[in-house]
Amino acid sequence: MSNLILEIKNLCHSYSEHALSIENINLEIGSRDRVSILGPSGCGKSTLLRLIAGLEKPDQGEIKINDIKVSDNKNLIPPEKRNIGLVVQEKALFPHLSVFENICFGIKKNKDKDLIASELLNLLKIDSLKNKYPHEISGGEQQRVALARSLAPKPNFLMLDEPFSALDEDLKETLYKDISQVFSDMSSAILLVTHDRNEAEIMTNKQIRMEEGKFI
Amino acid sequence: MKKLQLLLIFSLFGHVVMTNEVNVYTSRHYDSDDALYEEFTKETGIAVNIVSGKGSALLQRLKAEGVNSPADIFFTVDAGNLWKVQREDLFQSIKSEQILKVVPENLRGPNNEWTAIAKRARVIFYNPDNVNEKMIKGISYEDLANPEWKNKIVIRSSSNMYNQSLVASLIASLGEVDTEIWATKLVNNLARKPQGNDRSQIIAVANGEADIAIANSYYIGIMLSGSAGEDQLTAANKVRMIFPNQDNRGTHINISGAGILKNSPNPKNANLFLEFLLSKRVQKYMVDKSYEYAILDGVLPSKEIASFGISFKEDQTSVQKYGELNPDAVRLMDRSGWK
Amino acid sequence: MNRLTFWRLLPFAVLVVFTAPLLIVLSSLFGDYSENWSHLFQFVLFDYVSSSFILVIGVSILVLILGTVTAWTVTSYNFVGKNIFEWALILPLSIPPYILAYTFTGLFDHYGDANNLARLLLNLQNSTAIFPNVRNIYGAIIVFSFTLYPYVYLVSRSAFINQSRSMKESARMLGLNQFQVFYKLALPLIRPAVIGGLMLVIMETLSDFGAVDHFAIQTFTTGIFRTWYGLYDIQTAMQLASLLLLTVGVFYIAERSTRSSGIYTSNNSTFSPSKEDSLVGYKALTAFLICFIPIFIGFILPIIELILWAYEVNLEFFNQKFISSSINTLSLSLVTGMICAGLALLINFSIRYKPSALVQRFSSLLSIGYAVPGLILAVGMVQLLVYVDALVLSGLDIVITGSLIGLVLAYVIKTYALANSSIESGYERISSSLDDSSKLLGSSGWSMLSSIHVPLLKTSILTSVLLVMSDVVKELPATLILRPFNFETLAVSTYIYASEERMLQAAAPAIAIVLIGLIPIVFLSKMIRSSRPAH
Repeated sequence: MSNLILEIKNLCHSYSEHALSIENINLEIGSRDRVSILGPSGCGKSTLLRLIAGLEKPDQGEIKINDIKVSDNKNLIPPEKRNIGLVVQEKALFPHLSVFENICFGIKKNKDKDLIASELLNLLKIDSLKNKYPHEISGGEQQRVALARSLAPKPNFLMLDEPFSALDEDLKETLYKDISQVFSDMSSAILLVTHDRNEAEIMTNKQIRMEEGKFI
Repeated sequence: MKKLQLLLIFSLFGHVVMTNEVNVYTSRHYDSDDALYEEFTKETGIAVNIVSGKGSALLQRLKAEGVNSPADIFFTVDAGNLWKVQREDLFQSIKSEQILKVVPENLRGPNNEWTAIAKRARVIFYNPDNVNEKMIKGISYEDLANPEWKNKIVIRSSSNMYNQSLVASLIASLGEVDTEIWATKLVNNLARKPQGNDRSQIIAVANGEADIAIANSYYIGIMLSGSAGEDQLTAANKVRMIFPNQDNRGTHINISGAGILKNSPNPKNANLFLEFLLSKRVQKYMVDKSYEYAILDGVLPSKEIASFGISFKEDQTSVQKYGELNPDAVRLMDRSGWK
Repeated sequence: MNRLTFWRLLPFAVLVVFTAPLLIVLSSLFGDYSENWSHLFQFVLFDYVSSSFILVIGVSILVLILGTVTAWTVTSYNFVGKNIFEWALILPLSIPPYILAYTFTGLFDHYGDANNLARLLLNLQNSTAIFPNVRNIYGAIIVFSFTLYPYVYLVSRSAFINQSRSMKESARMLGLNQFQVFYKLALPLIRPAVIGGLMLVIMETLSDFGAVDHFAIQTFTTGIFRTWYGLYDIQTAMQLASLLLLTVGVFYIAERSTRSSGIYTSNNSTFSPSKEDSLVGYKALTAFLICFIPIFIGFILPIIELILWAYEVNLEFFNQKFISSSINTLSLSLVTGMICAGLALLINFSIRYKPSALVQRFSSLLSIGYAVPGLILAVGMVQLLVYVDALVLSGLDIVITGSLIGLVLAYVIKTYALANSSIESGYERISSSLDDSSKLLGSSGWSMLSSIHVPLLKTSILTSVLLVMSDVVKELPATLILRPFNFETLAVSTYIYASEERMLQAAAPAIAIVLIGLIPIVFLSKMIRSSRPAH
């Protein structure tokens, strides 16, 4: 049991009274697993990530992270205490901070900042962007920065919500390559949500299909 | 929208000259004055046009307008304001025999540039529950500097022109050195930092916050009339009014006054207007409404303030001195720490 | 005229008209310096400067707290009354500081209504007062803060709404709690908008005369008037006014340049609205109080006191004079609002159309009229009108001195900043790539303005008209000196009664000012309701 990093039991969630967005989901992810959830848009896969992140509250079921119960229909440990990374499709970089400052944002200990940040800048090949602002760099570069920012606090595991869907095909290929490399270097677990089978197969070693709120 | 257009068209190009009118720049803002102007129009057929504002601001407008100014009359409270216009040489001399006959010389400009229309006294109010009649009897402005009044006096800020004129009149009578010593001691005797208006000083005395207040005479009339509300009527009933310096030079008075402007487009009408204001009937009407004292002999003050005395000894210092000495008075008050 | 030249010259032409009365005032600096200066230095100047300084600092801090915290509360949380607070929080904007000051003394003086009531309820002696004296600088800080905070609230709220949800969620994922998201992320992000709103507050505080005069606080403004009225020294008064003007000018330009160096376009294309957290229990109560207290102090309390006053004099105020001054007030403010919005639109467009650093710097100067005390502006304006009459119109038998033209022009100069801030921020949200595509499609100049920008800026234009209106309704000192014969506005009536210390009679026109001021506010609040993020 102890090597399970994420454990979801009988999870249900709805935005309105009529339709369930998540229906009875069970999922276990081990500490080095790289899993993707594959499905069309609107199938509930983003909601599932939001539930795990603590941004939504489940109607039923429970979520455990590192064997600690973080969500059920009564209690919710707030997102900032879960130590999970999340990279989303939208540009969620802080526009008033430089690339370097964005990456440092989540690092708690001041003295580690420079070291961790320069390591990540190096790893994601964005050294040259260090002092630029988000609006000065390209979409692909922005996603690299977003990934670096999520990795900086050393999360328990990393979730990615359609991180590449806004990018063009050529750019994706190089990103897949670089980021897969980063993932293999790291020891943390990955949960990727995408509608792109190719992407799922390159980036992860286990794929789950999801439709209308259910795993199939 | 239609109304708006009309309004704009009418007033877009300033003042359209009409034949029979008199244009008055005034810093008196009494509702009762409006009724007077209507009465004047009814009697003479002359329309009265009004611009009201602060005295100094109106003067600035007059100066800027120069020969183009449409103003006939400058009507204001406080002699200092009249003196400022006189100094700029914007008035013409009043020639009306009728006016010169009824208005005493100390209430006119040196060359009859302006005339007083009504007068008020700056007096002392006290609370008989807290102040012994013996202590207050025969009191003078100078006595207020005595140590027995420590923390017992209230007066408004030195930015107020009534205080500036009072201090100017003291400079004229006592000299600058003695007045400054007096002002410094008076500030030491104050019960609180100068604040509020004349009426709040009277209310403070009524409520026992202080023993003595210096304020203008007509305020007690307004308060006693009940038009200012029940609370102020109650407060006014608790206080007594006394005229200072009756044993020597007399109580400090100030005036509402008016003059005809040099560039007046309608000087005849302006003259008629002043004569109207100084007629017996109008004087009685004015003092009944504004609780001031009349310029004409034999016109009694309103019943509300008549009980405090229908006549008193007035300081004969020419009111135009207030204007001349006003800047000295302000600087003196700054030096004495009168906020 | 060549089209490009028109757009390039427009800001300069307006600048000349706007600054002429101010330059007339500033020209006093090159005149003689009277011996009153040594008196001022020795005895009072330090008091003037230090109390103005304390006032501005105190008001800035309080306004920042009130404006941003309330805006954050209503945009981030769901609680009882939130839907009402969202628009009700701007109601205090309809109360001019001087009216709040009048009612404050009516309530909190030793024998004010609030103290009387407290003594009655607690059965206390006459000598005790529950509420502290408000006639001091702390009272003034409260009066200004609670009437002016909506400027900061308005800009903060729309900026908070426009912050993307995913960005705030990312911050949560990176370890920030809700409170930290507010002050570490959301607040720094809206800094430019907030500083813009704060500038308006500071300028209004510095140029106020009515409230500080009522509280007998010696600020720079009251010092100017004291020098003018008391020392009869208009030259020195103008020189003091020029110093005030220059101080604000330096401040203003500095703010502008820090702003332009920190520009980042927010990204609205992938905007997803924030979903508020629902609050219950003591948290909901806290949120309720955070929003209720500013409205209570800045709006409900003064309204109650004014109604009590008006009730004592019955309905005798409702006469022809009252109606005509209401109509005057309303039409003047509407005309000024439309002129200001039109000008702000044209000028911002010309800056965008033909950008140049110089034009930008100059056009930011156009807003300085807001900081000029109304009376000083009026004095410069009279002088200007007289020159125009003498030099230009003398042959035409037309006089514009003492006409509505002068008054409206003064209003426009004074309130242009309000119109500009709204339209400028509206323009900041329109991506410049839109202009490029429009040009490529053959639409430029007037046609780009009318077919692309105006529809997109509809809300900003309406906001700017309304903001200007609510300010003109309250304007007093310039109106007093510039208005034509027999022309009264509500502010003039209120002032005339208040200066005669007849608060009961002043109540009715004061309520009318508030009511007319409320009309634009109601429109604004309607827009606020519709600008609520959809779920």
